[in-house]
Amino acid sequence: MNDLLVAKEQVRYEQKAYWRNPMAAVFTLAFPVVFLVVVGTTSGTSRVPGTTLRYDQYTVVAMLTFGLIAACYTNLAMSICLRRDSGMLKRMRGTPISIGSYLGGIIGSTMINVAVLAVLVVGIGMGFYHLHFPYHPAATVVTLLVGIVTFGAIGLAVTVIVPNADAAPAVVNGIYLPVVFISGVFYPLSNGSVLSRIAGYFPVRHMIEALVSAFEGGPGSGLRGHDLVVMLVWAAGALVFAARRFRWEPRHR
Amino acid sequence: MGPDHGGAPVAISVRGLTKSYGNTEALRGIDFEVRRGEVLALLGPNGAGKTTAVEILEGYRARDGGTVTVLGLDPERRDRSLRAKVGIVLQECAVDPYLTVTEAMTQRAGLYPSPRSVGEVVDLVGLEAKARARVKTLSGGQQRRLDLGMALIGNPELIFLDEPTTGFDPSARREAWDVVRGLCAEGRTVVLTTHYMDEAQALADNVTVIAAGRVVASGPPDTLGGRDHGVTRVRFALPSDTALGELPLPPHLTPRVRAGMVEFEIDEPTTVLHELTRWAIGRGEVLDGLAVNRPSLEDVYLSLTGEAAGVEGSGGGAS
Repeated sequence: MNDLLVAKEQVRYEQKAYWRNPMAAVFTLAFPVVFLVVVGTTSGTSRVPGTTLRYDQYTVVAMLTFGLIAACYTNLAMSICLRRDSGMLKRMRGTPISIGSYLGGIIGSTMINVAVLAVLVVGIGMGFYHLHFPYHPAATVVTLLVGIVTFGAIGLAVTVIVPNADAAPAVVNGIYLPVVFISGVFYPLSNGSVLSRIAGYFPVRHMIEALVSAFEGGPGSGLRGHDLVVMLVWAAGALVFAARRFRWEPRHR
Repeated sequence: MGPDHGGAPVAISVRGLTKSYGNTEALRGIDFEVRRGEVLALLGPNGAGKTTAVEILEGYRARDGGTVTVLGLDPERRDRSLRAKVGIVLQECAVDPYLTVTEAMTQRAGLYPSPRSVGEVVDLVGLEAKARARVKTLSGGQQRRLDLGMALIGNPELIFLDEPTTGFDPSARREAWDVVRGLCAEGRTVVLTTHYMDEAQALADNVTVIAAGRVVASGPPDTLGGRDHGVTRVRFALPSDTALGELPLPPHLTPRVRAGMVEFEIDEPTTVLHELTRWAIGRGEVLDGLAVNRPSLEDVYLSLTGEAAGVEGSGGGAS
């Protein structure tokens, strides 16, 4: 069997199942869009200090980050926990599929979801908030890819500490909501504040900063190496942890 | 009874298999063998170790000791070529609830080098009317049948069925049995665990009973635990106006009368039945409710597993 072909087929079935399950699409697409409309229209049009973006335009970047985390981290962690508890992972492991094809299918499907989200959110920003198309498209794509890898890896890692599917929402949201709040997703942080220094240890703030830089007009590639490196360090740590401790089966009943 | 598989090549060989979880010894050295084309039923109380044994054969668990080969390979190495030849039905229905029956089967078929046709397998497990229905809308019994279909789609040589008919209504069970019989008619090997003795009796060529981590008996269901040599129980209604002493029974028998039914056990019933029926015909009577039974598989199973539990309970050494 050709692993790549199998992975491609997996993407197709993951996509079918995703769009038929209203809950997943609501969390990853509807929430960011609604927040974007609500927060964006109340944010005003003055500039965010230290950037060339207006407050409402900043919200586009923030909600793109928020939606990406929902798609990669939250959705991935929840669906892995559910599949583990229902025995789907164990089932898969009894077939000749390679781990690469199976994970590749999930990640490929997630990338499509993020692309849909990006088009939707940036489109709204350009249509309603006078957002310019990202000045550095390549940097935008690279940053989004690093984001997918990072938050996907953390999503996999968090399944290790989730005891069962019932506990998944509490553990998964309990970890990410506080980080999202202190990282400036709902309101830009002022540089040098205590919160921004704490948020600097986590990947969410770096994702926003890197995206802001890719969206802004300015010299250079728009890539923020430092931010991307911090994210990739998180990704590597999470992957090592997941690879060592990942469970395919529910905990002993 | 099923064909003789004595000369067929070995599909599964288990020798001295041991496995512990912490201080609990789940398997204390078990041996058995399954030949190609054979149906083996693994019986045993919950916690006896049969699920552990099956999961080691399926490649889900690593063993502590002993040798295991499945289709000539060590399942612990989880070779893809072995996984492609094995179909597994687990106790949970584990299929994406948002796909349709046909989609789920097609997806699974795509993982195997030479799968069976999806339509054929959907028909085989009796889901043709539900082929376009989403998995989440299926009833519990239909999901179990889908599960069975998912295990067969890869055209496996060897199929593991873990309590395959639990929750089935009687007619669905008969249909599932027919599917299993069809599988061995095609030369496939089946290992099944079950709590239903009639299922083991109906399907299995051989039965292995595991209790407290050991094999306590193995053999064809008709001879298991000396069933074929066991005592026969004879029952019939005591004819009216007849005293027990008038019956033409050999003197060493000790018949009982319960609720108007005479009951006794005898090693070899041929002669006594002949005497009894001749006596009844001579008097122009019939023997109402006449029944001649050997101990059922369930009787043998209960005594075997009961003995094993007794050995454990007394803390005595095992044989």
